[in-house]
Amino acid sequence: MLRRTVFGWLVLGSLLLFPSAKSIAADTPDEFLQLVVKLIGDSDREFRAAGLDHVRTPAGGSEGTKLFAGRLPGLDSAGQTALVSALADRGDPAARPAIIGLLNSRADENVRTAAISALGKLGEPADLRMLMTYLSSKSAAEQAAARATLTQMRGEKITKALAAELSSGSPTTKAALIEVLADRRASNELPAFLTASVDDNAQVRTAAMAALGQLGSAGQLAALLPGILKAQRGGERDAAEKSVALVCSRIDNEDDRGTQLIKALDAVDMAQRDQLLSLVGRVGGKKLIDFVGQIATAGDAERRKLGIDALSKWPDASTADTLLEIANNTKDSAERSQAFQGYVKIAATRDKRNDGQRLDRMKQAMQAAKSNEEQLLVINRCRTAYDVETLRFVFPYVDKAPFAETACETIVELAHHREIRDPNKVEFNKALDQVIAISKNPEVVERANRYKRGETWERQAKAAN
Amino acid sequence: MLDEAFAILKQYDWGSDMTPLAPIEDAVAASHDQADVRRDLENRLIATLQSDTSRDAKDYVCRKLAIVGTVAAVPALESMLGEKDYSHMARIALERMPAPESAQALRDAAAKVSNELKVGVIGSLGSRRDAAAVSVLNVLLKDGDHSVARAAALALGAIGSVDAASVLKVAATSAAGNKPAVIDALLACAEALLAGQKQTDALAIYRSLAADNQARLVRLAATRGILACTGKQS
Repeated sequence: MLRRTVFGWLVLGSLLLFPSAKSIAADTPDEFLQLVVKLIGDSDREFRAAGLDHVRTPAGGSEGTKLFAGRLPGLDSAGQTALVSALADRGDPAARPAIIGLLNSRADENVRTAAISALGKLGEPADLRMLMTYLSSKSAAEQAAARATLTQMRGEKITKALAAELSSGSPTTKAALIEVLADRRASNELPAFLTASVDDNAQVRTAAMAALGQLGSAGQLAALLPGILKAQRGGERDAAEKSVALVCSRIDNEDDRGTQLIKALDAVDMAQRDQLLSLVGRVGGKKLIDFVGQIATAGDAERRKLGIDALSKWPDASTADTLLEIANNTKDSAERSQAFQGYVKIAATRDKRNDGQRLDRMKQAMQAAKSNEEQLLVINRCRTAYDVETLRFVFPYVDKAPFAETACETIVELAHHREIRDPNKVEFNKALDQVIAISKNPEVVERANRYKRGETWERQAKAAN
Repeated sequence: MLDEAFAILKQYDWGSDMTPLAPIEDAVAASHDQADVRRDLENRLIATLQSDTSRDAKDYVCRKLAIVGTVAAVPALESMLGEKDYSHMARIALERMPAPESAQALRDAAAKVSNELKVGVIGSLGSRRDAAAVSVLNVLLKDGDHSVARAAALALGAIGSVDAASVLKVAATSAAGNKPAVIDALLACAEALLAGQKQTDALAIYRSLAADNQARLVRLAATRGILACTGKQS
């Protein structure tokens, strides 16, 4: 009876503001809980932290959890946020009703975010609907918390329930759900992702293609191609191609990779297949060079253009000779320009070749260049061959007016690499002096001065579009 | 080899090459389960200590006696406790030697040596967690020299026994200048008592320090202590 009375007093007391938390005496388990409850509401952060440390442990069991959670309504926002987080760490689902209660109240954003996060450990299937509404919340923090929570909640039941929601909901919610399911490695939901990959909404399609890229396998290659075709040209198409290339990269053998992609492409009609050549370029491999090479030299100019574009996107330099051959043999100046640009880009790619081999390609390109523009392109791309020989190759162009500025930029880019600059200091300093004297670009001059002083330079982040 | 090493030790001084002393190091390590060898080593070390050797040679010897020393070494070490240049060396050995006589030597010295050396001797009693030193330390706790009283408080805290706590509790009500050290020592006592499963004793200390009239950090430490004590029961 006495015990019940004491406990009743504790519950009542927990709802009131306590006097000083620090002079409390405690010598029974109930009084331990009482002290923790008092400290939770203390205005001194360190005293509060002392209480929260014990909320994080299982001490007090389920009754303790309810008692602690019962303090939530009486706390300020910071206190609520801290207690919710501690209750989540405690991991006792007995705290769930109080946390749901907070979400239903007019709690501020930080509290709501903490409550959403806590459901990752304490939530149950019944909370999914409510959590999904936060996927399209105006608050980025709430969105992120909801996403993390839906990823964290355990069980195949949760995965199934989330997948079931894919057919309804706003595009934003759908896209977020697909991302959550991908993070949950829900490979059983690939058919749903394939359906979403051709959705009318770009956000949904993008999420679906990204998920397929993470979870898809070679067997789905043909089914993935409509997703690329449906994607809008530009960023979405690029991302979709990269996702399919990612699936291809999981096929270990290069020949198998080529064979399986060609097989998948054969299932697509001719007109659409040409649109997929860019994907072929991203996947690469000898088998696919022949496949694209035939298109790049076909009779139809439009198809040739697509073929050259694909060869220019190759992941390594294995298409360089094919592109140079096209550039040298074509009579169409636009085609020459496209092939030559592709050749220089591919030749400069930092793949498995060494810097000397890259420089040799640049020298070959310079010999093949037929205009100042083409020479400028070569001088510019020389910066990917980190070798003092590249400096020696580029340096003479500093004194030739049409090439001077580009040559200066390439020299400072080369000088940026301490591993080639330091062992060839005298030579680099001489070149940098020339850059300082000639360049009209203040950033180039500043970089040249810094490298001369042995300092480094931090590249500015590219401005977001 | 060992004879040669001891001969060199007599000439040893600061900055000398220590390589020739390696046989002594090896003998100390190898003799841990050979009482006769260890006794012989100890006798040689005591003899060196009592000979006319440099300060650094004596320092070396004391460090070895800390490992192999027994009651036999106590008189030689005890005689050094009152000497300014050798007191701390002797404490290095006496602090670690398990013989009860070494603790007694420290307790005796605590009442006799100069205040400057007393602080170190008191510290050694604390390091030994010498429960028998509580009454000696109780007296020193009231010493007019703040550094002595403070050292006594901290030593009592390190001893961490119920008796030590009782002495400190009384001091806490009166010690003005040394109150922070006494409180600190009381908290150390409570922690030791809690670790020794004496929760009730620890809790009593924590409660006495959780009152509103204590400094904030003391209350915080005491509150954490109360939670640690009562949390174990829940």
